[in-house]
Amino acid sequence: MAKMNKKWVVLCSTAIAAVYATGYYSTEAQANKIDMQQNAQIHSQSSTVAMNTTQLKLPQTNTKITTKTITKTTPKTTTNIKTKTVQSRNSSPNISQSKTKQSITAPAKTVQIKRIYKNGTFTGMGENRRGSIQVAVKIENDRIMDVEISDFGMHYSESDIVGLPGEVLKRQNAQVSNVSGATYSTQAFQDAVLNALYQAKNA
Amino acid sequence: MTFKKWLKTPKAYVAFAMIVYLLIASIGYKNALGIKNGLVAVIASVIVDIFMNMIKKRKWTIPDGAIITGLIISLILSTATSLAVIAGTAVIAILSKHIIVYKKKPIFNPAAFGLLLSVLIFQTGQSWWGAFGDLPAWTILFLLIGGYLLTNRINKFVQVFTFLGTSFLLLVLMAHFNIGDAMDAFRPPFINATLFFGFFMLTDPPTSPGKNGDQLIFGLLTAAIGTIIYALFGGLIYLFIGLCFGNLYSYLKKRSTSKVALSRSSMKKTQRSLS
Repeated sequence: MAKMNKKWVVLCSTAIAAVYATGYYSTEAQANKIDMQQNAQIHSQSSTVAMNTTQLKLPQTNTKITTKTITKTTPKTTTNIKTKTVQSRNSSPNISQSKTKQSITAPAKTVQIKRIYKNGTFTGMGENRRGSIQVAVKIENDRIMDVEISDFGMHYSESDIVGLPGEVLKRQNAQVSNVSGATYSTQAFQDAVLNALYQAKNA
Repeated sequence: MTFKKWLKTPKAYVAFAMIVYLLIASIGYKNALGIKNGLVAVIASVIVDIFMNMIKKRKWTIPDGAIITGLIISLILSTATSLAVIAGTAVIAILSKHIIVYKKKPIFNPAAFGLLLSVLIFQTGQSWWGAFGDLPAWTILFLLIGGYLLTNRINKFVQVFTFLGTSFLLLVLMAHFNIGDAMDAFRPPFINATLFFGFFMLTDPPTSPGKNGDQLIFGLLTAAIGTIIYALFGGLIYLFIGLCFGNLYSYLKKRSTSKVALSRSSMKKTQRSLS
């Protein structure tokens, strides 16, 4: 078997490089678009991270109290009661209940307190060099009620990260533990949740 | 074989390149986990290789093939992969080298076969960190330099060029007709994976053909099947599946050649006895 002539090696290498360059530049516009999206995401996430880790951890008892008071009151007073309860999230259940009673007896006194997040379902996208993940995060009264992977576009198996939505619900923030062997999917998922939380953030 | 002689063998070239890549990547990622994984994969591979050689009562040789297999596995699997999974993948790879054989030579590339089964059994994630997938694009130069030196040493340019040319051409067509995810394939870490695979895995002498004509078909088949699988399903195992088909072609070719040679020699024997 004769060795390939050096001229042929150079010629073939050049031809292959030309085909590669054609492919690279023909997909450049698409790549730039994704890069811009990623930059926008990084910008949005940097402002969400601090808020996310500190403010979304609501005690379970407060939610129960809020639900209880809603059933007892009229629609007009419900808003007041809910906002009051959220405001006193660090107080004991008894104190918040007494405040609720007060607001029922005096419905004219309205205190409007802004929530950190809007209620509803928000989608977020996380991307890296190995693909993208889109999630739908449902938020109610500043609590993450549901997280769903709405689009899985990673070059890995979706089964690697099936446990992560549950982890977000449990921790009530986007910080999930890394899945061994699925680091890139974990990162993309985490970015997607942060992005969704940014979309949900009240102005 | 003396160490000086061994240094001139293709296996020494590959082993040297893999060790250099392991060090460059570890420095680049500022992470020593890869070196630990490399050691575990090499130790597991060497132990199983020696054990299998003892069972088969083979003469003692340097387990350089097992060392290369272990290094390749550790460079492809993510550094976050558990040590047990890395060792398990190395064991599968070396067992395939000793069990799925034709005339004492492995049919499938051990590292590719082990990694393919590892995805199916352990659901391992491949990061191709040792091919500098997340490092700056200029680090691809290391792959090209090492790859050209090795390909020149083992005289497999036809195979490598056919593989790379066919892969890129099919990806250009994919991009033109908006099929699959061609954009990713032209960029790191996928391009790194393609080059690393083309230079260091595809060219494995025992599992790939030697003749230029066969090299051409082998490269074409591996690239075509791999790229079609990528276009249809995406993922990261398309290269290994393509190579398994290429290895099967190489095996069938060897078998048919040896059958022809056998029938010719028997014909000659009968002619001699008749005369």
